Amino acid sequence: MTSRRFFTLILSCWLLAAGSVQALQVTDDRGVVVTFARAPQRIVSLLPSLTESVCALGQCRRLVGVDRYSNYPESVQALPQVGGGLDPNLEAVVALKPDVVLMATSAPVGERLQSLGIKVIALEPKTHADVRRVLEAIGRLLEVNDAAQVWRNIEAGMLAAVRSLPPGADRTRVYFEVNSAPYAASESSFIGETLSRLGVKNIVPGNLGPFPKLNPEFVVRANPDVIMVGDRSYAGLQGRPGWPGIRAIREGQVCVFTAAQADVVVRPGPRMAESAQIMARCLLGSLS
Amino acid sequence: MSTPHATAIGGTSIRASLGQVEILHDISIHFPAGCWSSIVGPNGAGKSTLLKVLAGLLPHSGEVRLLGQPLLRVAGRSRAQQLAWLGQNEGTGDDLTVWDVAMLGRLPYQRWLDSPSAADHSAVEQALRATQAWDWRARALGQLSGGERQRVLLARALAVQAQVLLMDEPLANLDPPHQSDWLAVVRALVQQGKTVVSVLHEISFALHADQMVVMAQGRVAHQGACADGATHRALEAVFDGRIAIHALGHQWVALPVVSSP
Amino acid sequence: MTALYRQQRLAYLLGLGLLLASALLALLGASVGSTGFESVLRVWDDPLALQIVQDIRMPRTLGAWLAGALLGLAGAVAQGLFRNPLADPYLLGSASGASMGVALALVLFGVSPFAAQWLVRLGLTGAAFAGAVAAVLLTLLLARGVQHTLRLLLAGVIVGVVLGAMSSLIMMLAPEIMQAMQAFMLGSTGFVGWSACVVMAVVWMLCLLLAWLLSSALDGLSLGEATAASLGLPLLQVRSLLIGVLALATGTAVAQTGMIAFVGLAAPHLVRSVVRTTHRNLIALSSLMGGVLLLAADTLARGLLAPQELPVGVLTAVLGGGYLLWLMNRSSRIASGSGLS
Repeated sequence: MTSRRFFTLILSCWLLAAGSVQALQVTDDRGVVVTFARAPQRIVSLLPSLTESVCALGQCRRLVGVDRYSNYPESVQALPQVGGGLDPNLEAVVALKPDVVLMATSAPVGERLQSLGIKVIALEPKTHADVRRVLEAIGRLLEVNDAAQVWRNIEAGMLAAVRSLPPGADRTRVYFEVNSAPYAASESSFIGETLSRLGVKNIVPGNLGPFPKLNPEFVVRANPDVIMVGDRSYAGLQGRPGWPGIRAIREGQVCVFTAAQADVVVRPGPRMAESAQIMARCLLGSLS
Repeated sequence: MSTPHATAIGGTSIRASLGQVEILHDISIHFPAGCWSSIVGPNGAGKSTLLKVLAGLLPHSGEVRLLGQPLLRVAGRSRAQQLAWLGQNEGTGDDLTVWDVAMLGRLPYQRWLDSPSAADHSAVEQALRATQAWDWRARALGQLSGGERQRVLLARALAVQAQVLLMDEPLANLDPPHQSDWLAVVRALVQQGKTVVSVLHEISFALHADQMVVMAQGRVAHQGACADGATHRALEAVFDGRIAIHALGHQWVALPVVSSP
Repeated sequence: MTALYRQQRLAYLLGLGLLLASALLALLGASVGSTGFESVLRVWDDPLALQIVQDIRMPRTLGAWLAGALLGLAGAVAQGLFRNPLADPYLLGSASGASMGVALALVLFGVSPFAAQWLVRLGLTGAAFAGAVAAVLLTLLLARGVQHTLRLLLAGVIVGVVLGAMSSLIMMLAPEIMQAMQAFMLGSTGFVGWSACVVMAVVWMLCLLLAWLLSSALDGLSLGEATAASLGLPLLQVRSLLIGVLALATGTAVAQTGMIAFVGLAAPHLVRSVVRTTHRNLIALSSLMGGVLLLAADTLARGLLAPQELPVGVLTAVLGGGYLLWLMNRSSRIASGSGLS
C-alpha cells in the first residue's frame, strides 16, 4: 500500500510538473517569448486596437486600465486612464497591478515596465492578416476558445460589405485623405487594404509608403471619382486651387466621415468589417 | 573767451534719477555760447547724466534751455540740427562704411527718402577730413581699430554742423597725436562761434578748455575759467588732493600725487 | 568716390541678379510638379496639364517667392530694429501665436464643423494670421510698449515659449490634429492659390514701402538709441511702425505657408556677405534674396521625391544654413590665414 501511495505521489508530482511546463507562452511582435503561469486576469491596454481586440473576444471585464485614446466599446471609457500609449504614467500602470500590459511594438516604455517586473506583450495590427493574428494571440493568452469564431464573424462582415457593391465598382477610383496636409492613405496602408478588398482602385500607389504626404497636384491629375475625407478636412476642400475641377468634387461624390466614423475607419482593429461597411455604404451612394 | 556771451545751453533745478537712485541733485548750470567748456569730476559724479539731460535724452525735472528756448518746446528736427550729441560706448553699425556712418549725421536735414544733397556731401567731406578719416571712407566700420572708429563717430557728430556740441568722452581710444587733432578741431569750432561742452576723463586736456565745470556726487562743485586758480583748487579738492595742477609752459597739467616710497 | 560708388553699383547688380534668378526659378518652379520635372513649355497641348500649371503651379511658385520676400523683409527689419544679427522675424512670438491659432482652429473644426461657419470662412490662414498678430500684441502688452528693446525681446521669448507650450498641450489632448499641425509647422506652399498671392503681394508692397521710408531711421538706430534720438528720430513712432511692419509681414507669410524657418534669419546675412550697404538697399535686397531662397527650396521640395513633398522648412535650413556655414568657414580661414585673430 505504501508503494501505491508513493506511486500516486510521484504521478501527481509529474502531472503537476507537466501542468506547469504547459504554462502559457506567447511570442509577441518583438519576437520576445513571454511566459505566464496562468491566463492573466488583470490587463492594461495601451493601444486602442488592442483594447478593442480584448473586448471583441468578450474579455472586457479583464481590463483594469486603458490609454487615453481607447474609446470603444463605451464601457472602457469608465476605466482608469493611464496616459498616452507612447508615454503612459508608469506609476498609474504599476498601481493597477496588472498581470500583463498590452502595447504597440513602437512604444519605448516596454523596457521600463519590464524592469519594474511587469510582463509586457507588444502587438500591433497593421494589416488585415495582422488583425487575425493579434486576435488569435490574445485569444491564446486569455485562454479564450472562440477566437477563431470572432475572426470568422469579422470576415463575414467584410464579405457582406464587399458583396453589397455592384460589379462596376472596380472602375471607381478613390482618394482617401487622412488629414489636410495632405496625407493620403495608399494601397499599402490598412485603409488601402480595405479599399482593395472592396474592389475599388486607390489613386495612391503602395510604393509611396502607407501614408505619403502628397503634392496636391497629384490628386488633381489623378482626378478620382470619389474622395473620402474626415469632416475636419472637408471644410477647406472646395477652396484648394485646382480642386473644384476634380470629378469627385464636381459631382459631389465626397464621403465625409464624422469623428466617430473616422475612428472606426482609420483604426486597424477588429472593427474592420464595420469600417468596410461604412466605406461601402458611401461608395454605394456614389455608384448609384 | 573772456567776454561773457549769452547762454547757449543750460539747465535750472535739474534733478534726474536712474531707477530709484537720484543722480543729479538740483543742478543749475549755464554754458556760455562760443566757448568750449569741459566737465570733469570723479567717477559717479553724474557727468554723463548731466550731459544726457542737457541733450534731452533723459527724463528729468527742472528746465533745460537751448539757445534761449525751452528744450522741450523745440521740434525734434530743429533740435537735432542745433544740438549734436556724441555718446560713450554707443553701438556701432559694423557693416556700414565710414562714409555712411558720417552721413548719418545729416539725418536731421534729410526728409524720408531724400538722397544726400550737395550740402550733405560737403558737410560729410569736411567732417571726415577734419578727423583724418577721409582716406578710408569706403572701409567698413567693423574693420577699424578703436581709435579709428572713434574718429569716425566724431566725424558723424561734426557733420551735423550744429551750433552746440555735447560730447561724452570724445577722446576715448584716441592716441596722443589724434587727441591734439581733436583739440584743434574744437578750437576751430569755437572760433566759428559754436559751443562745445565735453565730459573729459583726461584732466590735462580738460584744462585746455575755456571754462571748466567741476562736479562731484551729483552737484556742481565749481564753474570757472580754466586758467583760474580757484578752479584748480576746486579740482584738487574734488579728487581729495590726490592730484596736483602744475603749470607747464603755456599749459596746465594735472598729475597724480604719488607719495614717495 | 569710386570706392563708394562701387558698393552702390554692387548693390544694383545684386538686385538685378536676384530678379533674374527669381525669373529663372519661377520658370523652373512651374515645370516641377507631381510628375517631377516636366517642361512648362510643352504644356500647351494638354488641357489638363495647362490647367494644373495655371491653377496650381503658377500660384504656388509665385506664392513661395512672395512668402520668402515677406520673410526676408521682416528679417532685415528685425535685425535692424533689435540691432542683433541673430534676430529673425519670429522674435516677437508670432510663430507660436500662429501655431496656437491653427491648433485651436483645427480642434474647433472637429468639435462643431458646421456650427462655426465663420471659422470655416476664416479658414486656417485667417486663424494663423490672427494668432500671429495676437501674439505680437501680447508681447507689446507684456513689454509695456515699444520703448525698451530688451524688454521687448524678453517678452517675445516668454510669449513664444508659453504659446508654444499651449499648442503642444492642445496637440496632446487632441492628437488627431497632430499630423496636420506638424505639416503646418514644417511649412508648405501646398494650397496657395491666386487669391493668396494677391493678399501676399499687397501686403508685401505695403511693408516694403513702409520699411523703405523708415530705412534711414533703421540706420540711425544702428548707432544706438541715444544717438538716434539726438539725431531727431521720433523713436516711439518709428519703432511702433517697424513692429507693425514686422507683425504684418510675418503674420501674412506664416498664415499662407506655415512656419518656414531660417529664411528671415539668413536672407539679410546672405546679402551682407555680398555687399555692404545701408538699410535703404538692404531691405529690398533681403526681400529679393528671401524670395529666391524660398522659391528654390520649394521647387526642390516638390521635385526631389515627386509625387511626395518634403517639408519646405527642412530645405530652407539646408540651403540657407549650408551657405552660411560655407561663408563662416571661408571668413575664418581668411582671418586665420592672414594672421589676424
